[in-house]
Amino acid sequence: MIEILDPGIFSTIQDLGRWGYQKYGVSVSGVMDEVSARLANMLVGNDENAAVIEFYMKGPKIKFHTVTYFVVGGDVIIRLNNKEITPWTRYKARTGDVLTMEFLRSGAYGYIAFSGGIYIEPILGSRSTYLRAKIGKKLETGDKIPIGTDYKIPIVESLPESLRPKYSNQVEVRVILGPNEDHFTENGIKTFLSSWYTLTSESDRMGYRLEGPKIEHSKLGPDIITDAVPLGSIQVPGNGLPIIMLADRQTTGGYAKIGVVIRVDIPKVAQLRPGGKIKFKQVSVDEAHELLLKRERILSLIKKMIYGKAIYTKIKVKKKDFKIFVEEIKD
Amino acid sequence: MKSSPWERSYKIKVVGDSAIAIFLGNKIDEEINDVVLTVAKKIEEKNIKGITEVVPTYCSVYIYYDPLKADYRQVLNELHEIVKSTKVKGKIKTRTIKIPVAYGGEFGPDLEFVAQYHNMSIEDVIEIHSKPTYRVYMLGFTPGFAYMGGLDKRIATPRLKTPRKRVPAGSVGIAGEQTGIYPIESPGGWRLIGRTPLKLFNPKRDPPTLLLPGDRVKFIPIDHEEFYKILEEEGK
Repeated sequence: MIEILDPGIFSTIQDLGRWGYQKYGVSVSGVMDEVSARLANMLVGNDENAAVIEFYMKGPKIKFHTVTYFVVGGDVIIRLNNKEITPWTRYKARTGDVLTMEFLRSGAYGYIAFSGGIYIEPILGSRSTYLRAKIGKKLETGDKIPIGTDYKIPIVESLPESLRPKYSNQVEVRVILGPNEDHFTENGIKTFLSSWYTLTSESDRMGYRLEGPKIEHSKLGPDIITDAVPLGSIQVPGNGLPIIMLADRQTTGGYAKIGVVIRVDIPKVAQLRPGGKIKFKQVSVDEAHELLLKRERILSLIKKMIYGKAIYTKIKVKKKDFKIFVEEIKD
Repeated sequence: MKSSPWERSYKIKVVGDSAIAIFLGNKIDEEINDVVLTVAKKIEEKNIKGITEVVPTYCSVYIYYDPLKADYRQVLNELHEIVKSTKVKGKIKTRTIKIPVAYGGEFGPDLEFVAQYHNMSIEDVIEIHSKPTYRVYMLGFTPGFAYMGGLDKRIATPRLKTPRKRVPAGSVGIAGEQTGIYPIESPGGWRLIGRTPLKLFNPKRDPPTLLLPGDRVKFIPIDHEEFYKILEEEGK
């Protein structure tokens, strides 16, 4: 069990989401940045879907009431019993140890993974917090959270610097246009694909509101007959300003969707802070799938490396430096 | 083979890199929604590899898939096949769900306003609201919220200018030409005319919602004493 001594700004328990219930109006929820959360889980020997603590901007202060391994995922100064330790590295905490954190130096969301995962009762197949439906809650001082015991500590304890996620506050994000592109003029779509937008402070786990050049609607206007809202949907209401729908989005919505952010770029969007800059670039579905496949290949190689089944190293070929994974192929 | 009138007008579109939408019409219409629900059910029953969720809406079906497990072109082909082979014979099978509602008083703080707005008595509003059978087109917005059609235009009433910060779960309201029930406590701007003691969303049940798309809904006026009696039973 761990105890929250100070929750930070906004901390919740999340896994990779409550999938399968959107037809009942139940939002998916789950971590905002799946890559950071999955990497943190890998390092403590968890299933990638294990529940973690997600924190916004500033991490919680935690007291351990049990022996457990943990990893903090994020660009942040952390201390265990006032001794500085590093993120993306596994540590063993003993009963009575206290973990503290400063503000994130970059990015908006950080993660704490515990070996065995956060072991609360799943609701509708997930441990993700979903505040609107009163499933789970915002973490508060005094909360005591059970930690599981089912894990297998891997060999590698720290993620090499060059494999750690980098968070930028100025990003180019790839989108697939539509499905409601006919609700926008040619000019409107041009504006959307050529302008820099700024993330406003009216942004949360549900959606990120952007400010910038107004996107012109066609004569069909901003409203559609209410239909479903996939992750990363970019809705443009009557004011012409885009909203990117994220983890806690409603399952359905009535605003025209000009495009959808591709899955590999969701973490980039999620890690923007208010004031951050964003520009959209059109790609095809095939490109999006290729990018996803490539990302998943790298993540699975990282996992193999963490478990000692692959080596990550630098080589020089024709005077050029390469970082490569070496995997043993057995007959 | 005779083709249905809608067959020529459907459209299948990829939406982002993990969803596909089938558009089966372009208006809120019972017949179109019948087709939507039939197609959605067929897709679910086919258990196509890589499809993770099927979400029916007013006139479209959204299919979520995992691009790592399925080739979207193949999924598109299968979906075309399903839509083309779907025949909707007459009305689809439906359930009628009776929803007890305690109208007025603390449960329906806007009932009097609605009556005054239309120059009728409170009893008239209750009568007009509880007479029709409503149809559930889709669920969304919040868990278990049913988008229903069938409100009598005589009691259509505009939303509140300033939404309430907290509307209790079970509240029955009117917003324009819509009527609906708040399944969970949330902020809201609908005119509240009553409340049901039934739980519309319960994550411990399967399915987690009382109402499902295609259901017919009938409101049954009850008194406040009965409200508490049913509420107690629901809590058990």
